[in-house]
Amino acid sequence: MRQPPKNTIARDAVKAWKISEAIFMGIVWAVVIAGFIVSIIFDFPLWYIGLVIIICSISTYLFVFVFPKVRFKRWRYEVFDQEIYIQHGIFIVTRTLVPMIRVQHVDTKQGPILKKYQLASVTISTAATTHEIPALLEEDASTLRDKISALARVDEDDV
Amino acid sequence: MFEEKRLHPAVIFFNFIKTLKEAIFPIGAGFFALRNEAFIYFILASAVLLIGLITFSILSWYRYTYRIEDEELRIEYGVLVRKKRYIPKNRIQSIDLTEGIIHRLFKLVSVKIETAGSGTGAEAALKAVKLTEGKQLREELKEIPEQKSMLFDEQTDNIRKPSAKIEFKQLFLAGTTSGSIGIILAILAFLFSEIEQFIPDAFYDNTYQMIIKLSITVIILLAIAILVLIWLLGIAGTMIKYGNFTITRNNDELFITRGLLEKKQLTIPLKRIQAIGIDESILRQPLGYASIYAEVAGGSLEKGEDFSSVLFPIIKTSKIDAFLQKFLPEYISNRDDLVELPKRAKKFYLLRSMYPIILLIAGVVYFWPQFSWIPFILLIASMYLGFLRFKDGGFCIDDEQLTIRYRRLNRKTVVVFHKRVQSFEISQHKIQKEQKLATPILSIVSDLGGRHYRVKDLEIEDVNRLADWYSYR
Repeated sequence: MRQPPKNTIARDAVKAWKISEAIFMGIVWAVVIAGFIVSIIFDFPLWYIGLVIIICSISTYLFVFVFPKVRFKRWRYEVFDQEIYIQHGIFIVTRTLVPMIRVQHVDTKQGPILKKYQLASVTISTAATTHEIPALLEEDASTLRDKISALARVDEDDV
Repeated sequence: MFEEKRLHPAVIFFNFIKTLKEAIFPIGAGFFALRNEAFIYFILASAVLLIGLITFSILSWYRYTYRIEDEELRIEYGVLVRKKRYIPKNRIQSIDLTEGIIHRLFKLVSVKIETAGSGTGAEAALKAVKLTEGKQLREELKEIPEQKSMLFDEQTDNIRKPSAKIEFKQLFLAGTTSGSIGIILAILAFLFSEIEQFIPDAFYDNTYQMIIKLSITVIILLAIAILVLIWLLGIAGTMIKYGNFTITRNNDELFITRGLLEKKQLTIPLKRIQAIGIDESILRQPLGYASIYAEVAGGSLEKGEDFSSVLFPIIKTSKIDAFLQKFLPEYISNRDDLVELPKRAKKFYLLRSMYPIILLIAGVVYFWPQFSWIPFILLIASMYLGFLRFKDGGFCIDDEQLTIRYRRLNRKTVVVFHKRVQSFEISQHKIQKEQKLATPILSIVSDLGGRHYRVKDLEIEDVNRLADWYSYR
């Protein structure tokens, strides 16, 4: 576990994340603007709305333009015969080992944003945890799913 | 046992009471709405409702049948919608017999049957059958034909069937040191802070001094009375819950009976045990006592605090190994010789325990400067707790067995086997990376989906060793 995993996820993940973060921030901005208008109508002090706008601008910059790239750089995975090895995290880097015999089921998922870029994510569930490899190319995702499900044979142990 | 059977007719009564409880609110509302002008309608409606409930209770008792057929427990029930539930014997994980107070009057027992599903309710619950019938049912459901070997069973039965029972003294101690004392301390702290506030004001006015003094005495006495009451209730609660606590190992399962008023029997199959934990609560640890619990997968067995199954509510720390030797010898571990946290982790532990309190201090000093001393005492206490957390963290690998120890408030030592760990994680933030520290996280199955154990800020080399131990490569 000393070496990080080899495989990176699809490069388009950055675009997909940017879009979804942009949508989220758009909602936040809508709320902020509504608050701004209300403050003007009711003559509330404006300094705190200014503060909120500054915070929002900074977080928009971070979430939409900085973090997706960093997250992409960090996201690695590697599938061995006996286990799955995943690394992710921006500030807190997490490396996870999931033994194949503990895998209960594997799913592939695709939302509208991922679909736009022909991406899909793979979710691996054990009896206690779920792990997601986000944004792989569609065909990579389905081969990975099939590979993991073939490798994850039912063990005689309970659970 | 092929013929269809019904539950004991007492179930009619139970069902009736249960539905009546649900109907009591509309009846009460009806009473208040109609008590003047249309009281006769209220009586009529109530009578109809009552008769309806009674009929319904009888019908649902009548429809509820169970039988054992083709290695399955088959239950058919439902008045309006008929339901059939077939549970194969070999899917049954545990069968619990519970005797409530009313049950005991009639020598009845309720039988709960659990499968591995993680739902909250029991898979099947026979609300009341005769005690003998319940025991017979359990024996029949437990037998799985291909595994049955009469000779072997008899032998092991006779040779070892270790058992342990709680003593009164232990039980009393368990009650005294139960969680209720925490509530008492909180109330005490609150009262002291309040009284502090009362007294100086009281001296201003001579006329009322006597009265106020008196009222303060009354308040204090009342408070003490309440505290003693809570404490006694805590003791009584523990006594009722864990009275006659007996654990027996029977071949490949643990069998627990407990309860003074309501007798509960539960069976934990050994192969469903995911981990064994030793919980030394902050009150019991100085006295040298701990409790032993098991993390059991699936089902909704009767759970203690934290959703774990209590294997023994209170035990002298020095006797834990003897207890494990008797019941679960494979879970004995080298608890006193753990790989400890590196010295440089101490500052993280102290900081982590301090920062919520520092926020509190800022708030209190700003708003109630006269109470500044309270958060400062809290700060010292929490720093000490942080230090204890640092001192207690550790792990030990012994072949397939892993022991980890950590503390939040209570010190917990958990023993888990390699094959029970579902996934392993290393988490490391920027500062940890600089300091060559990392946090391992182990996940095991428990009733609430999963339980995650972590020991923060271990030496990175030690964490890598853990990863190598876990990795199959």
